Amino acid sequence: MSETAAKEAVQPPTESKDAKPAEGEAPKSAEGETAKKISPAELKKQKAAEKQARRAQQKTTSGPAATPQGPQSKEGAKQQQKGSKQAPKDDKSRPIPTRTKPSQTNIAPPPPQQQSKREAKQDPKQLGLFFGHLYSQPRKHSMVGTSKDVHPAVLALGLQYSSYTICGSTARMVAMLLAFKALIESYHTPKGTSLSRHLIQLLGPQIEYLRDCRPYSISMGNAIRWLKDIIVKTDPSTPEYEAKRDLLEEIDMFIRERVTAADKLIRDVAVTKILPGDVILTYASSSIVEQTLLQAHASGIPFSVIVVDSKPLFEGKTLARKLANAGLKVRYFLITGASHAIKDASKVFLGAHAMMSNGRLYSRVGTALVSMLANAQSLPVIVLCESVKFTEKVALDSIVGNEVAPPEELLSESERYALLHLKPHLPKSHPVTTEETPAEGAKSAPSDVLKWIEASKNLHHLQVLYDVTPAEYIDMVITEYGSLPPSSVPVVHRLSTNI
Amino acid sequence: MAPGAALAPGLTSFLRSLKTNPSEHSVDHLIALLKRRQIRNSRPCAVATTALIEKVVGEFKGHDAMKLLDRVRSVGRRLTAAQPREVVVGNIVRRVLGLIREVVEDNVGGDLIGTSETGRSTPTQHDHGFRPPLNSSISSFSPLRHAAVEPMDASLYASDMSDSGELSRRPPLLSSHTSYAPTSSAPLVNSLFGLFSQPVDSSTNVSTPTGQASPDGKGAHSLNLDRLTELNRSQHFDLKGEVMNGIQELQEELEQSDKQIADLAHEHIHANEIILTHTASTTVQKFLTKAAKNRKFTVVHAETYPHDNTATHEVLLTGRKQGGKAQDEDDKWKCLTELGIPVYVIPDSHVFAIMSRVNKVILATHTVLANGGLVAAAGAHLIAQAAKSHQTPVVVLSGVYKLSPVYPFDLDELIEYGDAGAVVPYEDGEFVDKVDVEHPLYDYVPADLVDLYITNLGGHAPSFLYRIVADHYRTEDVVL
Amino acid sequence: MSTTTSMAEKPLPSFDIVATYRRILAQDDELTMPVAAIEALVEAIAHSTVSTVAETLALLEHHTAVLKASIANPISLSAGTDLFQRYLVTTLNRPAALNLGPSDDFRIIRNHLLSNGKLFVDRAKQSREKIASFGTSFIREGATVLTNGGSRVVGALLRRAAESSTMRFKVVYVLSSSKSSDSEGGLKTVADLRAHNVPVAVIPDSAVAYSLGKVDMVIVGAEGVVENGGIISRLGTYQMGLLAKSKGKPFYVVAESHKFVRLYPLSQFDLPIEQKILDFSIAADAKAASATAKPSEDEGVADLNNRRPGLTSDDGVDFTPPDLISGIITESGVLTPSAVSEELIKIWF
Repeated sequence: MSETAAKEAVQPPTESKDAKPAEGEAPKSAEGETAKKISPAELKKQKAAEKQARRAQQKTTSGPAATPQGPQSKEGAKQQQKGSKQAPKDDKSRPIPTRTKPSQTNIAPPPPQQQSKREAKQDPKQLGLFFGHLYSQPRKHSMVGTSKDVHPAVLALGLQYSSYTICGSTARMVAMLLAFKALIESYHTPKGTSLSRHLIQLLGPQIEYLRDCRPYSISMGNAIRWLKDIIVKTDPSTPEYEAKRDLLEEIDMFIRERVTAADKLIRDVAVTKILPGDVILTYASSSIVEQTLLQAHASGIPFSVIVVDSKPLFEGKTLARKLANAGLKVRYFLITGASHAIKDASKVFLGAHAMMSNGRLYSRVGTALVSMLANAQSLPVIVLCESVKFTEKVALDSIVGNEVAPPEELLSESERYALLHLKPHLPKSHPVTTEETPAEGAKSAPSDVLKWIEASKNLHHLQVLYDVTPAEYIDMVITEYGSLPPSSVPVVHRLSTNI
Repeated sequence: MAPGAALAPGLTSFLRSLKTNPSEHSVDHLIALLKRRQIRNSRPCAVATTALIEKVVGEFKGHDAMKLLDRVRSVGRRLTAAQPREVVVGNIVRRVLGLIREVVEDNVGGDLIGTSETGRSTPTQHDHGFRPPLNSSISSFSPLRHAAVEPMDASLYASDMSDSGELSRRPPLLSSHTSYAPTSSAPLVNSLFGLFSQPVDSSTNVSTPTGQASPDGKGAHSLNLDRLTELNRSQHFDLKGEVMNGIQELQEELEQSDKQIADLAHEHIHANEIILTHTASTTVQKFLTKAAKNRKFTVVHAETYPHDNTATHEVLLTGRKQGGKAQDEDDKWKCLTELGIPVYVIPDSHVFAIMSRVNKVILATHTVLANGGLVAAAGAHLIAQAAKSHQTPVVVLSGVYKLSPVYPFDLDELIEYGDAGAVVPYEDGEFVDKVDVEHPLYDYVPADLVDLYITNLGGHAPSFLYRIVADHYRTEDVVL
Repeated sequence: MSTTTSMAEKPLPSFDIVATYRRILAQDDELTMPVAAIEALVEAIAHSTVSTVAETLALLEHHTAVLKASIANPISLSAGTDLFQRYLVTTLNRPAALNLGPSDDFRIIRNHLLSNGKLFVDRAKQSREKIASFGTSFIREGATVLTNGGSRVVGALLRRAAESSTMRFKVVYVLSSSKSSDSEGGLKTVADLRAHNVPVAVIPDSAVAYSLGKVDMVIVGAEGVVENGGIISRLGTYQMGLLAKSKGKPFYVVAESHKFVRLYPLSQFDLPIEQKILDFSIAADAKAASATAKPSEDEGVADLNNRRPGLTSDDGVDFTPPDLISGIITESGVLTPSAVSEELIKIWF
């Protein structure tokens, strides 16, 4: 019995690339057999061996094999689709950083060389200063090497993640759950296994793929844990269609309760904090803050908004646009102008990616700066956060756990254009100047600027996506359970996970 | 420099045109450049102003010091009115005015000074011989001047005329709004004793005591200078020549200022430090490259988007600042990356996130104010505040020419706003229509966020800056 | 200063310095204590028959001591007397600087002092006006200013700002409930400002923290500015300084330059005066106590008594350290506390 279990357990790892032991163990624990005490350890070893083999394989094959592969056609089609979708967007608004993948920007040189060169370069260069521990894997931008079990909806989702099309903790979680709904709908339990076990295993590759496209948000992690929990609790005797139906309903209810209804409750409380004549300052873009402001405006309270934004994502611009279209008076600053913006503000509303158990706010990078300024001026800082974003993790600073973004994104297309003229001025020892000039003449693409930066031994671009705001800068956290001081986050987290 | 080709309006073209045009023309030219912001940032403005004033003084005829003062002052007024936010223009003009006064006093005999009564002599009371006075009296144009102590006796006092002018002439921190500036200019010492001294020597007292109404004050002052000019004529000293020498020293100071600041680099940067900086400031880059020669450290550089980010990247990639004006070849420096210093470029939003690992913050500034605060590129306040919350020392590099004697009553006036199109391009018309886009170019950083100022005279605490202001500017000149 | 031999010489027995001082103060309620003290000392010299430097200085010392002994809070007054002493020391010891012959220096000084007594007073008042004119640059349009008075200069500054037609600002005035003549002066200022269409809110000491959220800056007066740049002023000022600092509001002090005192207090309890503010007692003491709330004797008030039972909280003073002060406005401009130290060092060394 344990052997078959072990064999079954072996199968999914061969399909997936890097199976996390945790995910492998969950179905095991569901078996409730004593055999599971032994097999997980064995499984772990097997999986580790598998992992190594896979990795070695991947390193050798991913380079040259990237382009001319079977699934390439599908991938190419998808990419072109993406490209065409994105092209009109680029035309409309020039300054929005083009979130193209490297494989699209290169005209002449073949992409795989670029990619392998980059990967090779990343080792000798001192990675990311003190963020080195976050550079474990380069982000995946294509569907190369994906397990065949990954559902098409999830594939598309992953690409949307890595291109920031879907951005924002709640949005990503909801999109992921919807994609999983599609997965469950089209799911058929193969013979010989039960839905609960097999579905969990099937989730594995999806989750890994998504993680490779972009590391999880805390809300996604919580949702996945919850989902696995209910799948596992499914009674094996229920017929498949019923089980599926129940699962889908559960997911719907989850989204309804933890997101939609929670948002409504939070909005209602937050709106009471907006007084006539207030100047509300917010940073980047948070869906819940946006909803709150729109609701307050709709209820007739006269107030105005200041939006502070930063590159490269410029999320605040979309928020400002939406608010202005709704009729609010909006002022827009970049983060460098935040000191000026804060002088006129009366309250600060912030969204969250996660609330840590030591009361710190984990949110878009730059939030800490805004909170610091607000605190220096004794302005109330209010965080709007659904309980699904609470985590038991703790963070002392922004370096310990963060997400590193590709450094290419630091310079937008237009910025690279602006630097092109520097080619002749590059220092003599720069590797680029020693290369032969391409035969096509002096037409250099903006991506050349990236090449210069990469080639330069000591110049690095560094970008992370999140930062941690100390608890003393935060006055109030509004969740669907009520308003609390940041120190009470672990209390609420325990409440919400025990329900 | 493009040979013969028409240069874009800017510093170089201005300097070239100075050689050929009459001074009045050049004044108008500079005013136009300032108004249109074709010449911007402290150093170019300082260089241009100095060159212009040199020309103006050069064309000045006669030996009348007062007329020269008036001429320079009127030019200065026009220049500062053209661009009040380029404070350095006013600074240079005030330095020159102070220089003229000093030259006059140097050359006028001791008897003028001697006839003034207690008010004048009160400063000498300090030097009872057992303790040197604390006000520095060495010419402010000596670049190595620190606000040091110089022992002096009363006996020396009569003979050492070069010191007399500076003695106890500490200008308090006045605003340009008040009309009482000239009279209340007497330092506290005089004013403290001035309570007693005034009726004895109202007209001859060069350092006007308190209590005099402003019109009289100015009058007394000019009265004094009239006497001086009378004496001048009788003594035939080369006013113009000495003033020109002084201006040339000033120009040298401007050129040398970065180098002198950089010479202090090894004292402040140590091995394996992580330094945070921002903007593409020449001063900071030279400071760091000097330190890089024998220290190994890491630099984290905030982009300063959108104010300066292109320039920042330029500097980091190539080690040279581009820009409207062409640089002299020797102004190039090897970029840090060439010297083996790892440089990490981060967006400005990351400053708080990484501050816990940063050892030191080095900032450049646009202007330094008399209360120790500074006006620096946008984002500086963020950095300084984040550094404060992490107890990281903040060091500001600035030449003394950026130090302004004017007390900042209205900070909003000092902050310049830039083109909102740099933040959101105007093509996005709908957005720009409905949303108020603002683009402040500068930040005010209060004095308590700065730990150290490094100028070409050495390192100082922010609370000491008033002394340096006193050494370099005359109170009578604070109001142009 | 040599005082050994000249101690034998006494002033005319009929000259009562304290009475003179009080008379001068009573004559002109615009006078500050230091200036009145100087006037009194000048008169003392006039009445005396001293003819040498040493005698004069000794006389001065004697009178100063008497004066200081008779006033409960001599800090402000000592600013004037010390300054005067210093001035005399320096001028009298430096005849060469005066370009006078050695024999007639003293008489000339004396004559100068006596004939120009009035001028000191005028000049002191002018300094107040000058400071007031600075105030209009400080108070921005639409600002709210918090003050507890503490000096007539503050009232003058606010009044001047109110008179300027373009300035719109509000004042929060902290008035203690005691009936000191200080609060009378305060009420007068409040009435004045209101007459000039300046909205004034009067609050007790306990509401300072509450109101700081709506205040843009704090302006207070001082009785004395001490060597490290801190100030000695009416009880309650230190509190305001602490609160303003914790809320990040600028805290400005207005003081004429003749209030600079040669003191270096290290704490509230390091002042050279006796204050009975913290007066612990138990029930048995209450019966024996004969506490009377004396009217305060802050600067400019003519009511002085010769007893020195120690100041109570009605007329007490406290010490505000320099790190709480954003700037000291004198007639020479705005000084940072370190600039003040420098000035004092220059005089006294």
